[in-house]
Amino acid sequence: MQKYSIFNLVKNAFSNHENWDLAWKDPTPKEEYDVVIIGGGGHGLATAYYLAKEHNITNVAIIEKGWIGGGNVGRNTTIIRSNYMHDENGLFSEFGMDLWRKMSQDLNYNVMFSPRGIINLAHSDAQMNAYARRGNSMRLNGIDAVLLNREQVKEIIPMADFSENVRFPIFGGLMQPSAGTARHDAVAWGYARQADSMGVDIIQNCEVIGFDVSAGKIKGIRTSRGNIKANKVGICVAGSTNILAEKLNMTLPIETHLLQACVSEPIKPVLDNVVTFGAGHFYVSQSDKGEMVMGGDLDGYNSYAQRGNLPTLQHVLTEGIAMMPFLSKLKMLRTWGGIMDMSMDGSPIIDKTHIEGLYLNCGWCYGGFKATPASGWTFAHTIAQDRVHELNAGYSLNRFSTGHLIDEKGLGTKTWIS
Amino acid sequence: MLYINCPHCGMRSQNEFSYGGDASVKRPDLNKEIPDKEWDDFVYNRKSLRGKHLELWQHISGCRQWIKVERDTATHEIFRTFKADEEFA
Amino acid sequence: MTQAFRIENIGLINRDKKLSFKFNGKNYFGYEGDTLASALLANGVHLVGRSFKYHRPRGFFGAGVDEPYAVVQLYRNGETEPNIKATEQELFEGLEAKSVNCWPSVNFDIGAINNFLKIFLPAGFYYKTFMWPKSFWYRIYEPFIRKAAGLGVASTKHDKERYEHKYEYCDLLIAGSGPSGLASAYAAAKNGAKVILAEDKPRFGGSLLTCDVNIGNQSGKDWADGIITELKTMPNVLVKNRSQIFGYYDHNMLVMSEKVSDHLPATKKYHPNKRLWYIRAKEVLISSGSIERPIVFGNNDTPGVMLSSAAREYLKVFGVLVGRRPLVFTNNDSGYETAIEFKKNGVEPIILDSRKNPKSEIIDEAKNLGINIKNSYVVVAAQGYKKVKSADIASISEDKKQLGKIENLQCDCICVSGFWTPTIHLASQSGNKTKFKEEIDAFVPGQSKQNEITLGAANGVFSLDETLKTSFKAGSELSKKITKKDNEVAIPNVVEKKSSQHDKFWCVPLPKGKNYKRFLDFQNDVAVSDVEIALREGYRSIEHVKRYTTLGMATDQGKTSNLNGLQLVSEIENKIVPAVGHTTFRPPYTPVSIGAIVGREVGKHSKPTRKSPMHKWHEKNHAVFVDAGVWLRPRYYKRGHENLFEASKREAKNVRTNVGVCDVTTLGKIDVKGPDAAELLNRVYTNAWLKLPVGKARYGVMLREDGIVMDDGTTTRISENHYHMTTTTAQAANVLSHLEYYLQLVWPELNVNVVSTTEQWAGAAIAGPKSRELLQKLFPSLDVSNDGLPFMGYIEGDLFGIKSRIFRISFSGELAYEVNVESDYGNFMWEKIMEVGEEFKIQPYGTEALSTLRIEMGHVAGSELDGRTIPYDNALEGLVSKKKDFIGKRSLQRSAFIEENRQRIVGVVPLDKQTSIPEGSHLVKDDKAKLPNPKLGHISASCWSVEYDNPFSLAILKNGKNMIGQKLFAMSPLKNKVIPVEIVSSHYVDPKGERVRS
Repeated sequence: MQKYSIFNLVKNAFSNHENWDLAWKDPTPKEEYDVVIIGGGGHGLATAYYLAKEHNITNVAIIEKGWIGGGNVGRNTTIIRSNYMHDENGLFSEFGMDLWRKMSQDLNYNVMFSPRGIINLAHSDAQMNAYARRGNSMRLNGIDAVLLNREQVKEIIPMADFSENVRFPIFGGLMQPSAGTARHDAVAWGYARQADSMGVDIIQNCEVIGFDVSAGKIKGIRTSRGNIKANKVGICVAGSTNILAEKLNMTLPIETHLLQACVSEPIKPVLDNVVTFGAGHFYVSQSDKGEMVMGGDLDGYNSYAQRGNLPTLQHVLTEGIAMMPFLSKLKMLRTWGGIMDMSMDGSPIIDKTHIEGLYLNCGWCYGGFKATPASGWTFAHTIAQDRVHELNAGYSLNRFSTGHLIDEKGLGTKTWIS
Repeated sequence: MLYINCPHCGMRSQNEFSYGGDASVKRPDLNKEIPDKEWDDFVYNRKSLRGKHLELWQHISGCRQWIKVERDTATHEIFRTFKADEEFA
Repeated sequence: MTQAFRIENIGLINRDKKLSFKFNGKNYFGYEGDTLASALLANGVHLVGRSFKYHRPRGFFGAGVDEPYAVVQLYRNGETEPNIKATEQELFEGLEAKSVNCWPSVNFDIGAINNFLKIFLPAGFYYKTFMWPKSFWYRIYEPFIRKAAGLGVASTKHDKERYEHKYEYCDLLIAGSGPSGLASAYAAAKNGAKVILAEDKPRFGGSLLTCDVNIGNQSGKDWADGIITELKTMPNVLVKNRSQIFGYYDHNMLVMSEKVSDHLPATKKYHPNKRLWYIRAKEVLISSGSIERPIVFGNNDTPGVMLSSAAREYLKVFGVLVGRRPLVFTNNDSGYETAIEFKKNGVEPIILDSRKNPKSEIIDEAKNLGINIKNSYVVVAAQGYKKVKSADIASISEDKKQLGKIENLQCDCICVSGFWTPTIHLASQSGNKTKFKEEIDAFVPGQSKQNEITLGAANGVFSLDETLKTSFKAGSELSKKITKKDNEVAIPNVVEKKSSQHDKFWCVPLPKGKNYKRFLDFQNDVAVSDVEIALREGYRSIEHVKRYTTLGMATDQGKTSNLNGLQLVSEIENKIVPAVGHTTFRPPYTPVSIGAIVGREVGKHSKPTRKSPMHKWHEKNHAVFVDAGVWLRPRYYKRGHENLFEASKREAKNVRTNVGVCDVTTLGKIDVKGPDAAELLNRVYTNAWLKLPVGKARYGVMLREDGIVMDDGTTTRISENHYHMTTTTAQAANVLSHLEYYLQLVWPELNVNVVSTTEQWAGAAIAGPKSRELLQKLFPSLDVSNDGLPFMGYIEGDLFGIKSRIFRISFSGELAYEVNVESDYGNFMWEKIMEVGEEFKIQPYGTEALSTLRIEMGHVAGSELDGRTIPYDNALEGLVSKKKDFIGKRSLQRSAFIEENRQRIVGVVPLDKQTSIPEGSHLVKDDKAKLPNPKLGHISASCWSVEYDNPFSLAILKNGKNMIGQKLFAMSPLKNKVIPVEIVSSHYVDPKGERVRS
């Protein structure tokens, strides 16, 4: 595989960039694979990559209904963090942070991981205490966290509302300095390119129609491009999990919901960090292109439509202006919607299933992007070894039956309240 | 913004309502032995399919009645709405 | 001062009103009715900005919303706004604007060095480099790229402008006031339908303002003026200019942004800057017209290259010549119309037509006027850096592959027309699946998804005659359905020149040995070669191409570039255009002010503020408030220079020794009435309720179905079938909905009604050893002795003539009562309590003292009932009935909920009895253990015990039941604290609960 480097970029410039290789090929599906991963999103592509890299399993197909990276990895707000209270989430995500830090070099693809720090603003002492509980938990798990007072927050983000005319004054905030953002498409493409180079078949425009299961074992899948045999199949289609689960007669503790996000027109740099509002649900960062990237609440009803309604964005942006009044003068350039697997405790599932050889990776709510490397890594391990890794042991499917829930927000099963 | 026909009040915009999830989920009866699976299906497991979806909304800024709505989760089209005590045909 | 490019006798501007303005520090003037763009062009200014990546000089390309490059920084009334399209900004007196994305100036821009490095900066170059050394991306490269990117500069000041919202309902909403919009609006209005006609430009009429047509024996423009004038007089019609429908949402909800003040030097007092309209329409007519698309050729981004339709608009609407030696490059007849207008106004244009031998009335007219026409000719490249100086042109073979000898032609502008692209954004947003129309090489709406139809050019119909006929008909028929009226409207005669078929040609090939940049997306600097690279590297889906090259992702959202991009992809991939497909059209059509989207809910009004009836008294008495949800509650009452700690300690101590009073109005209150009320409570709460006598209160805990505690509170049986339920402040609304859910859907057989009475009652908690004496003085006629009003008893009384409810309940753990009166008397009650209580040394206490009191007693509150705990965790398992069923009971059998070492509430005391434990600390066995250090539990609440005068905390601790007496460490790494602690009972004060019963 061609190496991407400044040297090669210059070299290719003199041949008009006509000699670059394909980033990934476009193979026709083979009859049989050792492992089939359904879903060519970030998690699916990462899983295939780690299957090849960590477990030397390269006879792998990724089956994608549309185009790779077209789901939530291509329509998120690119935030990467491990600022969780619960051990399961914290340790899993922090493992992922390590993978993020070396991802560009590992994939030889600049994913632009940028540890610009995330600040969760607090608007009361009670909230400061709740953040302290989370931050202390992070620190005891070896994750960086700093509790900022009002003055410290003001120093970092003076454009937030520190005026008198504010409904919920800023008391302080919890910061994870090592959190940040990355270029979302590049993550999908980088994993795809490396997986492809190690022999993984990336098969786009191929829809899964059904599964072949016999005697409690998975035997293969049926697709719009023919049947494919495999003794191991991983489902990795957050947003559409329930549609595939139905084909397997499974009902899952997941609902599919719609989340919108938007960007402003590009402006010169004004905000370095990722900031979240504490008296509501709003988050913002500024992309390298200069756009303010903003999001917040779900639209709040089951939906597979990748299109939302304006009142939700109005509500989200209201909180945005409450936090940073200067946003008012900007213009909203682009909006989009993505569909989420909202799990019943807000945490994901990476587990084996009752069908031998069938593995499930789902329930990412709106935290899937940052989990891409750790999810791929642990899912690859789970598939390759046919047992969960200790990092994803907590993300079991049966925790809903046993009561070992991982509920960061304490909101329970009303998944549409975010 | 969805436009919902409250069977008690008439057409109203969605911002008068709050969502209540899958209406096909039935609470098991009280004072009855309930197997784990049945209870989990009630509390946690949802079909949440693409297409027609029977769901609950409460007209919270209106008559406060819980109503049933048949809506397409792919297009958001609403086909029918019912009062709480009406069954879907 | 003259305007070199303004000509007489043409245009719709008001020449009687001169307006002066400033651009890049230089003074100019224009006229009322100008846009910033037309005024600059009138003054011969073509260089307005620099492109995003290569910093190439950029001028004006269009004359409206499609403008890709004329983006400026605007200064108005002491404020600044970034990224304003000069083509949309109307001129006002004193306007100031500056170029963006250039340094030190638009004339000499250092960033233009990128233009020379461009061979190293192809699409996606940044994915291939900037990776070494590892830390450099974040520290060096990225900050550099960030500074280089972005367009204008945002002010970080608060926005002083006001924005309003309006909600409207109508029969027909018509987007666009061109011929189809006017005709359909008129026909519908005549049928009495409620019509809203929206036009995003200041002037109505759309293409009729610039086309040479005749309708009903008058010019198109005069006909439009007549229709608008009449519509404005009709009471059932709302006509709005400067108003853009930018989004088509679910269920025929469309949203319109109206610019109320942007064309004025300052917003008038009490006027909004913009108004956002949410419009629910029965029928939607999309008459949004079409946008001319460019033909792609070398250096086609040079200032002076612009759409031929824009040149015509500058001429006919603004009386501005975009050049004196125009070259018109076209593949269809529209270019001829522009050339004819030039000619009529004394300028000699040259037409290059890619077609070999086209014939039509328009072409004949051009020929008759003596215009120089070169057939089978194309512009190969524009020459000139900051302005077009000439064009390299050549003949082209019929297959459009071979260029003839290159000639150089002097010109000062190149007006380009590559035919028309229907504006299908709204139709597509409605869910309509668009289809590709071969005859016009563009997408048009397909089957309607909502109640929308698309008319005229937006539907790919470019004949005025046909447009008017279909539009009158559509307006008439749709309105008839609604109003049942059928008033016939005569369809006027149309005289228009017939045009011929356009040439399916959109990109000029590169001549041998030349490497011109041929731009598709002008703002983002995406050239043909970039798309080629993307495809070559396997980014083949149109979405991949878009994302890899950023084609169509600039602030113009690809209005002039997307279709040419598609053509290129289809050509290279050897697919037909519809097989490539277009990327999704999403709202907004053009960027919308965030302030307008938000409206009035800003600053203090971003969320409601709820205050108790006693709020003023609290304020007067130096209360420091705290937000409790949207309520404001006194946190403490400041005396002198007291801080929070000192004041709350004083207040808590006074409760323990004398008597205090606390405003508890914010607690949720629900009236539960009906013969089955007790049964409902019995099912909702974990404990038994069937035997509660009238006049008695009981504490209850309610669960969610998943077994987690949802809320707690006391409920009192006021009379046989009437219960008064209280909830926590935070959960009040949720609990009401929860009860309604079960009553309406699950147990409709229960004859019970619930209603919120939170606002109806003001509440005061009187707590402390002297509270009974105080109560007796307040209600001299009542027997409030321990027998007359025992713990958890309830009586009604008369407080100086005011009907009161008296509950003997206690959150503080002291002997305590809660008095409720109707809200209007809340302040009266409060003042009486303070007045009468003076002799008992009464002091008001806030939430902080209340916290101290409850923590000492081991009473749980929000920080323990955090949505993750079950009754056992809160030592409330005694309230869980084993006999009866209730909501969530089945979940309590889960294995994790009955584990022997299940977490449980405990008390925590620092060993030194000095060091307060910060809330949010975690308990660990070994403070020096390596990370991750296993956490055994967390500190949920801390206080300074006024009873023992030392710190005391509550914690939720793993295996808490068996940990009493253990020594652990409370760690708060965030605050650098490690505190050795002892685990004690959570009931730190009065563990037997004697005081409340005393």
